[in-house]
Amino acid sequence: MSFYEYVTRNADRIGFLTAQHVEVVLLSVVIAAVFGVGLGIGTERAPRLRRALLTITGTLLTIPSFALFGLLIPVLGLGLAPTVVALTGYAVFPILRNTVTGLETVDPAVVDAARGMGLGPGQLLRLVRLPLAWPVILNGIRVATIMVVAIAAIGAAVSGPGLGELIFRGLSRLGGANALNEALSGVVGVALVALALDLLFVLIGWLTTPRGLHA
Amino acid sequence: MPDMSPSPDVMIRLEGVAKRYPGQPADAMAPLSMDIRQGELVVLVGPSGCGKTTTLRMINRLVEPSAGRVWIAGRDVTHADPDQLRRTIGYVIQQIGLLPHMTVAQNVELVPRLLGWDRARIAGRVDELLDLVGLDPAAFRNRYPKELSGGQQQRVGVARALAADPPVMLMDEPFGAIDPITRERLQDEFLKLQDQIRKTIVFVTHDIGEALKLGDRIGIFGEGSRLAQFATPLEILTNPADDYVRAFVGAGAGIRRLSLLRIADVHGGMTGDVADQEPVRVPGDTTVYSALEQMLQKGTDRVVIDSNGDLAERSLSLRELLLAAAEGARR
Repeated sequence: MSFYEYVTRNADRIGFLTAQHVEVVLLSVVIAAVFGVGLGIGTERAPRLRRALLTITGTLLTIPSFALFGLLIPVLGLGLAPTVVALTGYAVFPILRNTVTGLETVDPAVVDAARGMGLGPGQLLRLVRLPLAWPVILNGIRVATIMVVAIAAIGAAVSGPGLGELIFRGLSRLGGANALNEALSGVVGVALVALALDLLFVLIGWLTTPRGLHA
Repeated sequence: MPDMSPSPDVMIRLEGVAKRYPGQPADAMAPLSMDIRQGELVVLVGPSGCGKTTTLRMINRLVEPSAGRVWIAGRDVTHADPDQLRRTIGYVIQQIGLLPHMTVAQNVELVPRLLGWDRARIAGRVDELLDLVGLDPAAFRNRYPKELSGGQQQRVGVARALAADPPVMLMDEPFGAIDPITRERLQDEFLKLQDQIRKTIVFVTHDIGEALKLGDRIGIFGEGSRLAQFATPLEILTNPADDYVRAFVGAGAGIRRLSLLRIADVHGGMTGDVADQEPVRVPGDTTVYSALEQMLQKGTDRVVIDSNGDLAERSLSLRELLLAAAEGARR
């Protein structure tokens, strides 16, 4: 059976797993964005805590994903929970990093002028610094998303949802009927999901960046 | 020191304000006292690091004084809420600092919005201000800062500072980053604008030429944030307080002075009949500089100052004019 034939015959299952994959990625990234942006803003007056958090979340990224999923089994069991926890953990760093960078690189002259006009710290953040840091923060969320799309495939090792199931099953019975096609459909699916979400972020970026900041 | 609030015509009083940063052995800014009158344009000038910007920023408390008191409009604001205080003080900086994600109108209306003005009043005010600084509201209202030239951006910066009609404006080298030709034009417009609005303005620059051109009074800062002289431009050129001021004002002080000296204030000359030659005739508020210019153009060595009130018409020769004009300067 050709790859094309395989995909058309199994379209329902592949479609279902693709949707699952997208869901688990977006769920994890949304949670990570809340933590990443929140911690980035919350630690403005606590530079040491901020550095510590960046180090911790950065170090987390160096743990091989296969190992992390495995280590979470005793704590969270199998399925959705360990997958989302691990993916969220990986996604926090790029978002936190870019939130910090975004806020720190807002033009000091703009901040000085805004303070001089009588904006308090809260207004300064809401009306000036966050809107100006937004393109950088959004880029962090985008990088986190693309990264997590690939890592989510490994989640199948702990019976997590998504396209990883096709890859793992296909590879485990390599040599069997359609095994290669199955694994390949998972790999191609992951790549297409990454591409689609990347395009989605281009659109979101264009829609949410204030017009005055467009290049 | 007794608690003496300043007299009503003093808009800003600095009373021994000083700045020392924590952990530093000496003051970054030595104690300074200064009275700035209502409607006065005071220019603070000096080399970089002399404390002129720090002084400016202590008025709206972007730098908190570590000693002394600041009075604005008869009120001790040393411990007032800084955000509330700043909404009543216009602030213009060299880098302009327009909010790039907001339109020209949104930038200008920011402070009135913080102050809770109603929509109709804000919209009217934006157009009025853009007109005032020479920008067509219809063309500029909805533009973004990056779509404007440097000169246009600084006009918006001035309009924004004036938005809530603050009695006091602080300007930190507002024309410093603008090309010389545009700067000259903005200075002229700014003087005209100040004639209309009569704000109390503290203006920082490092350019003595700009200071002499704009200031009603000039504060010249020396090393170690010492206020070397605080006087009118004419007084500074005529009687520099010390060698530092003399050196700072630099070459050409004699010529510069002539453009500040009213010809009516020059003594001497004869009343009555004017000699053979066709003289230049000028009103008493003409500057000596401009009178000399007219004499040069006409190729005459005599000037007649129009009679004014009980002052009779006078006539001076070129030599008499120069000697009399130099009189004050040599004192």
